[in-house]
Amino acid sequence: MSSSPVAGPAPTGPSSGPATGSAGQPAPDRPRGPGRPGRRIRPVSSRARHRPRRGIARYWPQFLAVSPYYLIFSVFMLFPMLYTVYLAFQKWDGIGEMEFVGLQQFRFLWDDPVFWLSLRNTLVIWVLSTVPMLFLALVMAVLINSTRRFTAFYRVALFIPSITSLVAIAIFFGAIFSNNFGLINAILQSLNLSAVPWLSNEWTIKLVIAALMTWQWTGYNAIIYLAGLQAIPSELYEAAKMDGAGPVRIFFGITIPLLRPIILFTVVISTVTGLQSFTEPQVLFGSDASTNPNSGGPGQAGLTTLLYFYHQAFDNNDFGYAAAIVWAFFLLILLIVIINWRLVQRKERRP
Amino acid sequence: MDLSRRRFLQAAVLTAATAGLTAACGGSEPGGSKDSKTLKLWYWAGGMSDKVVADAKKQFSDTTLKTSVIGGDFKTKLLTGLKTAQTAPDITGIKGEDIASFLPNANRFLDLNELGMDKLAPEYLSWKLKQATTQDGKLIGFPIDIGPCAVYYREDLFAKAGLPTDPAKVSSELSTWDAFFEAGVELHKAVPKSFLVNNIGAVFSMAVGQGTKRFIDEDNTFIGDQDHIRAAWTTAVKPYTLGIDAKINDNTWNAAIGNGTVATGLGAAWYALDIQNAAPGTKGKWRVASLPSGPSNLGGSFLCLPSTCANPEKAFEIVSWMLNAENQARGFTDAALFPTTPAAYELPALTGGDAFFGGQKTIEIFGPAAEKIPAAYEAPADAAVSAAYFNELTAIEAKGKDPEDAWKDAVSQAKQIAKRQGVK
Amino acid sequence: MNSQNRKRLRGLSVHAVLMLCVVISVFPFYWIIVMATNTSQDIYRYPPKLWFGDNLLTNIQHLFDKMDFFGSLFNTVIVAVCTTLLVLFFDSLAAFAFAKYDFPAKKFLFGLLLAMYILPTQLAIIPQYEIMIQLGWLGTLQALIVPAAANAFGIFWMRQYTITGVPDELLDAARIDGSGFFRQYWHVVLPCVRPALAFLGIYTFIAAWNDYILPLVMLVNPDELTLQVALAQLYAGHSTDYSMVMAGVLLAVIPLVLVFTFFARGFIADATKGALR
Repeated sequence: MSSSPVAGPAPTGPSSGPATGSAGQPAPDRPRGPGRPGRRIRPVSSRARHRPRRGIARYWPQFLAVSPYYLIFSVFMLFPMLYTVYLAFQKWDGIGEMEFVGLQQFRFLWDDPVFWLSLRNTLVIWVLSTVPMLFLALVMAVLINSTRRFTAFYRVALFIPSITSLVAIAIFFGAIFSNNFGLINAILQSLNLSAVPWLSNEWTIKLVIAALMTWQWTGYNAIIYLAGLQAIPSELYEAAKMDGAGPVRIFFGITIPLLRPIILFTVVISTVTGLQSFTEPQVLFGSDASTNPNSGGPGQAGLTTLLYFYHQAFDNNDFGYAAAIVWAFFLLILLIVIINWRLVQRKERRP
Repeated sequence: MDLSRRRFLQAAVLTAATAGLTAACGGSEPGGSKDSKTLKLWYWAGGMSDKVVADAKKQFSDTTLKTSVIGGDFKTKLLTGLKTAQTAPDITGIKGEDIASFLPNANRFLDLNELGMDKLAPEYLSWKLKQATTQDGKLIGFPIDIGPCAVYYREDLFAKAGLPTDPAKVSSELSTWDAFFEAGVELHKAVPKSFLVNNIGAVFSMAVGQGTKRFIDEDNTFIGDQDHIRAAWTTAVKPYTLGIDAKINDNTWNAAIGNGTVATGLGAAWYALDIQNAAPGTKGKWRVASLPSGPSNLGGSFLCLPSTCANPEKAFEIVSWMLNAENQARGFTDAALFPTTPAAYELPALTGGDAFFGGQKTIEIFGPAAEKIPAAYEAPADAAVSAAYFNELTAIEAKGKDPEDAWKDAVSQAKQIAKRQGVK
Repeated sequence: MNSQNRKRLRGLSVHAVLMLCVVISVFPFYWIIVMATNTSQDIYRYPPKLWFGDNLLTNIQHLFDKMDFFGSLFNTVIVAVCTTLLVLFFDSLAAFAFAKYDFPAKKFLFGLLLAMYILPTQLAIIPQYEIMIQLGWLGTLQALIVPAAANAFGIFWMRQYTITGVPDELLDAARIDGSGFFRQYWHVVLPCVRPALAFLGIYTFIAAWNDYILPLVMLVNPDELTLQVALAQLYAGHSTDYSMVMAGVLLAVIPLVLVFTFFARGFIADATKGALR
C-alpha cells in the first residue's frame, strides 16, 4: 500500500468514489433542486461589454484554470499508461533497441509460475488483512458509538496509524518479529513457548505483512464506519426497540443494511490498496540483497505482484515483461472490484 | 487551520518560481557540472577502502573527487544513474556478480586498454581481467578485489565438539563436502543450538563456483539442467536433510553469527568484514580453513569508467593509483578486499596475522586458493537465471518443500527466465 | 440499582476494550522510543529492556555518521511543501471552474478525472521513469513534485466544497463589480474555501512525506534521497544496529505524528466527510 499522492484514492485520505454519492451531499452531476436555479452562469452582460469574444475563446479563463491538471496528467499519467500498453508488446532492456514481440510477453506470463505465485501471495495477504481489518473496524465503531466519553480521544488515537510512514512501520515490524531477538519471540519465550521464525516461514511471512496492514488501516476504517453509524437516525433504533428487537437483531436488521454503502466504499478502497502491497515486503526483505534483492523473502513468500513487477523492471531491466505484468495485474484488480461491487449491489436490491 | 490568502498566494508563486528555477538549473546541469576537474566516484559501503579513497582525494588535489557511497541495491541504482550523462558517475564500482550483465552494453563504458591498462595487465590476475573483457577484446573493468572462498569457523565451538581446531588440520581433515557435513552433525550433537551452515543457498553458490561451467555456456545455451548443476544442488541439500542447516535467510544472520547459532560461514575473503561488523564480540574465536572439495570464487568487484566520464585520462590515473599493489594491500587490511595483483600478496599487510582470527595468517589459506580458482564462463543472464535456484532452495527451507520438486521447479523456472533473456 | 450497576459495568468493559485498541495503535511509537533510547545489545538481550534508556544521543550520533539525516529531511520538506502548494493552487483554481462555470467539454473532462481514481500509479511508472530521463530530471526533486501536482482527488474535493461553500450571491456581486474569473477566484473563492484547503493541504503533505515508490525509482545519489528511501536503505544496510535505525525512524516519524495530532480533530472530521460523500 504505497500512499502515492498522484492519483487514485490513497487510503489515508477521504476518497469520494463516484459510487458512493449516497449519504448526504448531492452527487456531482445530478440536477439540483428547484430552490437553486442552475448557477453555473458564465459572466454575461458585464464582461461581454468589455471583451466581445466568440466561441471557445470566450472560455479561456476556465480552460486556463483547469489546464495545469490536464497538462501534467497527460504528460505524466495518461501518456505513460498508454505507453505501458505499447511496451507490453516489446522486448526492451531500457538501453538497447526495442523489438516487437507480439503477444510473447503475455505467453511468458501465462507460463511463469513465479507470476502466479505472486498473485497467490497478493490475494492471500489481501484476504488475511482485509477480513479481520473490516470486521474489527466495525466492532470498534459500534463500541465507540455506544459511549459518549473519550470519543474524540479514541478517534485521534485510532487514526494515527493510518498517517504513519509505511517504511517506518515496516522497519518496526521487521524488528519486533525478528527471529532471534524480536519482542514477539521474547514474549513467547517468557510464556515458555518456543520461538517462531516469523520471517522465514511461508505462512508467518504473510501473517506478518497482513498484521502490518491490519494495524495500519483498522482505525481508519473504524472511524469511517463510526461516521456512518452516527448518521443513522436514532428514531429507527427506538422504533425497533419498541417492537421488541434485541441488540443482535437491531445490528443485523438496521445497522448493517444502512451501513451498506459505506461498507461498499471501504471494501473497494481496501481492495484497491490492499492488492497493491509493495512497500511492506520490499522494506522487510530488502536486507537480503546479497543474493536475491526484491525476491520477497524466503521461498518468495512475501513476493507480491507489484514487487515482482518492480523486480523485473528495475532489477532485471526486462521492461516489456514488467509492462505485461502490471497490465495483467491491473485488469485483475478491476475484475475483483467489479465483482465486489456486483455482490454488494445485488444484496442491496433483494430486500 | 487557517490559511491567509495573501500568504498562500505568495507561497504558491514562490513555489512555482523555485520549481521552474530548479527545473531550469536541472536542465542546464549537464553542461555545467561536466567540467573535467570534478569526478564523481560511486561505490557501496565496503566496496573500497575508505582510507585509500580519502588519500586519493589528497593525492590528486588538482581534481575534486566527489564520492558517493550508494545504498540500496547498487546495480539498480547504477543502471538508473547511467541513463543520463548528468546523473552518471565518472568512476563506478561494479560487483563481480553483475559485471557479466553489463558486457552486452560495453559501449556504455570506456575500453581501459586504450587508456593504458594493456601495459598494466600482466601485473593483475588474468582470469579476473577476463571476466570484464568482451568477446571482441574490450576491457571495461579494473579489478578491485577477488573473492577466493574459504570456511570461516568458530574454533571454540569446534573444540567443544571434539573436532580439529587447527586451520591446517581442519583443511586437511574436512577436505570434502561429505567430511565437512559429518563434522557438522557431530558439532550439532555436542552443541545443540549450533548449526553448521546458515543456509543451503550459500553451499550451492560455493559448489557451483567450484566448477568450470555455470548455467549458460559460451554458445548462449542453457545448461542449468545438466549434471554439474545437479551435483551442486545435491551437495547443497545435504545439510538440510542432515538437520545441520540453520535456515537463516533474513537479517537475523547478524545475530546468529554473534551468538553461535551458526558455527561456520562459507564465504569469500571479503566475508571476514561482514563477520567482524556483525559480531565484534567474537573477536579471536574465528579461524579460516580451505573450502571443502576445492577453491571457489564469489564476487570480487571492478572499477569502471562510464563512457560519459568527464576526464578519462585523469580518472584512469586515479583508478590505477587506488588499485596499485600497495593500496590493494591497504584495502585488504581496511575492508578485507583481497588483492587482484599477486605482487600485493608479498606485502606485510597480507603476510601478517589477523587478530580477529586469533592471529592466524589467513593468506596461507586464501593465497593458494586464489591461484587455483577455476575460470568459468559467466553469461550476461547468469545472475538472473541462477536466482531461480536460490529461490527454490529458500523454498525448501521456508516451506519444507520437497527437494526433488524444488529442483524440477528451479530448472523449469530457470529455463523460462533464460528464454525471456534471449538464451537458447 | 442492579440494572444500573450492570450498565456501568458494560460501559467500563466497552472502555476497556477500546483502551486496548488504543494501546495497540500507539504501542509501536512507545516501542520505537524504547529501542531508540537503548543500545542494540539491550534490545537483543533476553529478557529485553521494556523501558526508556539513556542512549538516545549516542544512537543519534551513530545515525548521523551513517546517513545525511538533515539532507534527507530537507529534501523531504522541499518535496512535501512544493507538492502541497502546487496542489492547493491548481486544484482550487480548477475546482472553481468546474463548480461555478459551464464551458465546452466540461462533462468529459470531469468524467476523465473520476476515472483516474482506479488507475494504479504503477501502470505509468516505467514510462514516467523514461520521461524523467529525457527531461534530465532523473535524480532531482522535481521528478517527484511535478507528477504529484496533478491530484484528481484534490480537484474533486475542492469542487464539492466550492459548490456549497462559495455563495453564488457573492460571485454575482463580484461580477457586477466587473471582476473577471481570476479576480473572483482571488477575492471571493479563496477566502471561502480555506477550511477545505487546510484539509487538502495536510492530506497532500502527509502523502508526499510518506511516498516511497516514486522516490525509490527516481532518486539515485545519497544526497538527493528523501527520508523514506534513506530510512529503508539504512535498514537494509545496517539491520544489526537496531537502536541506531530506530533513532532514525523516531526522528522521521515523530514530528509528523505530533503535527498531525495538533490538527487531528478537524482533519478526521473532513476525512470521514470525504468518505461519506
